[in-house]
Amino acid sequence: MTQAAIQITDLCFSYGRKNVLGGVNLSVPAGSVFGFLGRNGSGKTTTIKLLLGLLKPSAGSCTVQKLDPAVDPMAVRRSVGYMAEDQQMYGWMRVGEIIKWVAGFYPGWDNKLVGELTDLLDLSPRTKVKALSKGQNSRLALLLALGHRPDVVILDDPTLGLDPIARKDFLRHVITLLQSNNVTVFFSSHLLYEIEPVADQVAILDHGVIIKTGKTDQLRESVRRFVFAPKPDATLNRLEGLLDVTHAADSVAVTIEDCDDAKRTAIHEASTNSIQETALNLDEIFEAYVIGNRGTVEKRLALTADRAREASAND
Amino acid sequence: MFVRIESSSAVPIYRQIVDQIKYQIATGTLKPGRQMPSVRDLAGKLAVNQNTILKVYNQLRQEHLLEVDRGSGTFVAAGAQTLRAAERKEIVSKILGEAVVQAVHLDVSVDQLHELLDKQYEAIDKQRLQGEKRGTQ
Repeated sequence: MTQAAIQITDLCFSYGRKNVLGGVNLSVPAGSVFGFLGRNGSGKTTTIKLLLGLLKPSAGSCTVQKLDPAVDPMAVRRSVGYMAEDQQMYGWMRVGEIIKWVAGFYPGWDNKLVGELTDLLDLSPRTKVKALSKGQNSRLALLLALGHRPDVVILDDPTLGLDPIARKDFLRHVITLLQSNNVTVFFSSHLLYEIEPVADQVAILDHGVIIKTGKTDQLRESVRRFVFAPKPDATLNRLEGLLDVTHAADSVAVTIEDCDDAKRTAIHEASTNSIQETALNLDEIFEAYVIGNRGTVEKRLALTADRAREASAND
Repeated sequence: MFVRIESSSAVPIYRQIVDQIKYQIATGTLKPGRQMPSVRDLAGKLAVNQNTILKVYNQLRQEHLLEVDRGSGTFVAAGAQTLRAAERKEIVSKILGEAVVQAVHLDVSVDQLHELLDKQYEAIDKQRLQGEKRGTQ
């Protein structure tokens, strides 16, 4: 088995009475590019802050390169490169000045590498930070995250607000600078189609719970939608792997995860006519998992009920 | 070599790339013996995970469309048509099977389907001719 660069176990976090994370479990293999997906407010940034030791978990634990950020946040920060969501930098500084300033925090800062990266990322040390474009700003933030040669890089929605060209450019740098050098990349986003080309694996976080993890290409190939006219007595809600059922006139559209022959047979048995099977695009897959009306919703309700019970037990 | 990735497509990215390379070999845009970009270069160019490109190259190698010369790189196979006739037929037959299912659903007759096939052949012949012209220039 490959080693985990990031290991998250039953991680919980709440702001006062507001539960943000309700038991997150994740394992990110060393050297992989890992996509961490979720809608706005699903708990992505909170998870990342816990990984960096910026917040303390209310229960459960996490480790980064076997270090516990709740115990030794400084050691974690030394081995991790971090790019914050919508990272703000001092506008009055010049690019060269901010690089020197950040370098002061890291004993292992590599000036030679940073020089190369400055050229490669097309940044000029003389430019004032406030004069940078959004794309240049994100490239500078990436450079600052890489200067101490971290083994793990955590990027919190790094392409937010970038235009499509700057976004592709950024993803290209993630591949050529990080994946090529065996750096583990933990990359959060709310766009599945953006994560797909670059991620080996993805996890979908929703309402503070991981509802799906898998290899990116398998996720894509294993979710199928079937359209057919059901038998009157068919119990569609009991189909295995069911994500969503949508009724339209006399036919239904059923979305199934981890689709295999057994599940296809079950659908054949529920149908009165020929079945149309289609693959979905990534937005549709994400939607099926996050707002699909079966399975995950029930799981989530069960989890929420559990949490409420625990909370009242603690009171 | 040009490859285009459509992110809103229901076709997985690695399949999109495999299909486009196959198409370019079939139309003669990529000629036997031609060196392919390294996995790292193509991944960087397309902004796609290196493992995806690795999977693409592995599959094309298994289908004998690409060959690896240790040390010097990956090339379009000398006889990019070295699959046995039966194997080739099987690959095409599978795709046609799916097409026929759709045709039945959409009420397209056998004759109409034949017509469509002829048109596709004409289009690819035209491209191949253009490719040869370019090659001789």
